Amino acid sequence: MSHNFPKSDQVDIMLLLEGTFPYVSGGVSSWVNQIIRGFPDYRFGAIFLGSHRDDYSGMKYELPANLVHLEAVYLHDPHEKPEIEAHDGNSSAFEVIGRLHDWFMAPDPDRLENAFKDINFYLDPASGVDYRQFLHSRRSWNHITRMYQERCSDPSFVDYFWTARNMHAPIWILAGIAGRLIPARVYHTVSTGYAGFLGALLHYHTGRPLILSEHGIYTKERRIDIFNSDWIQDNRNALQKDPTEISYFRDLWIRFFETLGRFCYGSSGTIVSLFEGARLRQIADGAPAEHTGVIPNGIDVDRYAPLRQTRPEIIPQVLTLLGRVVPIKDIKNFIRAIRIIANHLPQVEGWIIGPDDEDPKYADECRALAESLAVADRIKFLGFRDPLEIFPQTGVLVLSSISEGLPLVLLEAFAAGIPAVATDVGACRQLILGHGSEDEALGAAGGVVGINNPQALAEEALRLLIDPVLWKQAQQAAVSRVERFYTQQKMFDSYHDLYRKGML
Amino acid sequence: MAGIGFELRKLLKRDSFLAVLHTYAYAGIISSGPWVLSIVAVLIIGVISIPVVIPHFLVAQFQTSITYLIALSLVFTGFVQLAFTRYSADRIFDKEHFRLLPNLNGLLLLTSVTGGTLAFPLTLILFPATSLVFRMLFATTFVVLCCVWIAAILLSGLKAYKAILINFAVGYGTALLLAIVLRIWKLEGLMLAFLLGQFILLQGMLLVLYRNYPTRSFVEFDFLSRKRVYVSLVFTGFFYNLGIWADKFVFWFHPYTGTNVIGPLNASEIYDLPVFLAYLSILPGMAVFLVRMETDFVEYYDRFYEAVREGGSLTYIYEMKDEMIRMAREGIYDIIKIQAIAAIAVFLVGAKLLDMAGIPQVYLPLLYIDVAAAGFQVVFLGVLNIYFYLDRRGRALFLTSLFATLNLVLSVVSISLGPYFYGYGFALSLCIVIMCGMFLLDRDLQKLEYETFMLQ
Repeated sequence: MSHNFPKSDQVDIMLLLEGTFPYVSGGVSSWVNQIIRGFPDYRFGAIFLGSHRDDYSGMKYELPANLVHLEAVYLHDPHEKPEIEAHDGNSSAFEVIGRLHDWFMAPDPDRLENAFKDINFYLDPASGVDYRQFLHSRRSWNHITRMYQERCSDPSFVDYFWTARNMHAPIWILAGIAGRLIPARVYHTVSTGYAGFLGALLHYHTGRPLILSEHGIYTKERRIDIFNSDWIQDNRNALQKDPTEISYFRDLWIRFFETLGRFCYGSSGTIVSLFEGARLRQIADGAPAEHTGVIPNGIDVDRYAPLRQTRPEIIPQVLTLLGRVVPIKDIKNFIRAIRIIANHLPQVEGWIIGPDDEDPKYADECRALAESLAVADRIKFLGFRDPLEIFPQTGVLVLSSISEGLPLVLLEAFAAGIPAVATDVGACRQLILGHGSEDEALGAAGGVVGINNPQALAEEALRLLIDPVLWKQAQQAAVSRVERFYTQQKMFDSYHDLYRKGML
Repeated sequence: MAGIGFELRKLLKRDSFLAVLHTYAYAGIISSGPWVLSIVAVLIIGVISIPVVIPHFLVAQFQTSITYLIALSLVFTGFVQLAFTRYSADRIFDKEHFRLLPNLNGLLLLTSVTGGTLAFPLTLILFPATSLVFRMLFATTFVVLCCVWIAAILLSGLKAYKAILINFAVGYGTALLLAIVLRIWKLEGLMLAFLLGQFILLQGMLLVLYRNYPTRSFVEFDFLSRKRVYVSLVFTGFFYNLGIWADKFVFWFHPYTGTNVIGPLNASEIYDLPVFLAYLSILPGMAVFLVRMETDFVEYYDRFYEAVREGGSLTYIYEMKDEMIRMAREGIYDIIKIQAIAAIAVFLVGAKLLDMAGIPQVYLPLLYIDVAAAGFQVVFLGVLNIYFYLDRRGRALFLTSLFATLNLVLSVVSISLGPYFYGYGFALSLCIVIMCGMFLLDRDLQKLEYETFMLQ
């Protein structure tokens, strides 16, 4: 698979992509695709970081011509491991690691050891802790047992051991990549996490600037993943378990990603978020306020504008949810809302447009739910479809997610002249109701409801479906808002600025 | 077939002095019964033949032949003993019992063919002065003995010690009875009696295996597949058996101590009898070894690895390791203690016993040192066994090869130092390997959890 990747020996912008473009479709991936195509004069490179090769079924995007270099790295696949041999390990470097873990308990941004910024700390056994020492040395063992004894509240040592090992192992893989990657003038990561950590290492190693664009908030999304995962062990027995306390290993993962996030924030020259709420959250998570800024997503409005003319006169009694069938999109919330709407509007249909192969178990649960609520004939799982074909048949766009960044699909629907009802997550409120007096004056482009509240979601959607006047007003607001604030050109100009400054 | 550890623990649970005594007696009988039976049976056959088999040196020829057959077949099958023990233990662990019998048949076939190919031509060439019948019997007995050891290995892997003991009793009993009838044919008659006894012993053990582990395929060579054979165990088994017999070979073939008995076979009048008598004294040590290893040590060994695998806390893992170490140490100390008592008993009554058996008192010093050495051998077995449990095959190979080398070299040295030092080579070599083994064990157990977790 990798042999036909484009390869180059130098690029202008190196994108660091964790679990997105080109192997996973979704909002962030589409945005990456858009950015690369939006700057045909720049030579892009990309590193795709995935978990296991088998988790990804082929590329979901045609590679743009100016993507001249692509590598895929699977962090949890079996990889070449150092020789297994008992040895002591570097004592001074393990002291540094010990201090780092003490520092995690009471992080003070000014006192992070500089040692961790140097990739040689991870690669050179003489001055740091290389992969072999991490895996097999006595000092590594002593460190792990010390951490377990001082901190772990879960009794199972074997689970602690493997959690710690699996969690940290990618660090050495990433340091290896940072050491051998082709040169670039700017590094651009689209998340914190492992990709952000790689970006930080690259920045410190090469001195070239790092731009961080966060669509969602990585640590927050990870937190949701971690809460929903059953692969994280919890071995506390009934007496040890405090229901208000999450499993130690979940907590460990969360703190690990928070730490990677802080490391990335500390090294990024520019920290871009999509909306004001996200920027504040980044600052709360440790981003230096002076490096943060907002660049909202923009879309190619011209592409969707003609759809406004092809719409039928009457409002189609169809609610469309565009998104992957995964728990974070809370498809079940949507299905329950359809049930409630169908009580008043029996002919209503709910369309779910998006791949359902990412979490087949969840998709099955959703189908079963539609079945048990007797709306299986009202709900259509249509799979991946071209929005251009779907929009004219859509009455109201629905977004029932429990977490979002700035969803492009809302902007696209707006451009196509469709109002929306969305949960109050990410930038949804800002997009539907406006942000700032000039924006708010444009009016509401639909409704905003609380998360996991199918009743409210149903009520808002129903209001729009049955009231053509209200619907028309919302359409007006939607179109004006997207044309005024969220055009692709506006976004490209902002990034052009960043890239140009970065390349100096 | 319930595991022996289970049975012994059940006995111990009754929790009275008598129950403890009963447990050790039972363990002693099942662990030492087979070889006590064989030593005693061969001695008795000799004694009852003396009035009939004339000239008398024919009896010595018989006993020497049997001693060589046992020694050579043990050393020869040494190459497969441990490897096959491990193979069958792994299959039992994997619950693949159906593989046991076909692979036993495969190994028996392999051993018979290679053993026969070696034994028949060599016997024909090397025993020119003996009858053709003797030569045929000699080579056939070699092959059958090899098969007996291998079948016994599988049965002990299945912890069917009782079945082994019963079959040894029946086999050697038959040999004894047949010897009474066949002794009129002198050497050949005694050899035939022994061979038939061994044959019945082998068939009896196979019968137990066929009954308990029915299988569809008859012969398999899965035990030879690359993934399942441990080369280090092949050599460890060989060196262990070579080590045990090295001093005997040295004394047999050294010009000072060996005399020719039959064909190329030498015996050592001065060395042999005390050594074989001394081996009878390790019965209590073997009983302690079995009880300590199969109950106490294994219990904490299991708990330790269960805690590692199933998510015990680190403190609990440490505790179980400490308990396991304590059990290993106590087991070894108990073997030393009981063998010390056995040695003192021999020191006290040895002279009288020799008198009663009509054995000259000159053997006494050699008997003393051999009793000590035989005791050391049980301790060595204990140390090795811990290494096998910990799967430190490299250590076991090192210790057994060191033992074989030392026993060979020091036995030669002891002969040149004079009769007073006879037996000291054997004792000293065991002493050295035990000390090495304990020293290494101490270090290895210190690092046990580090190596268990980090070297994977």
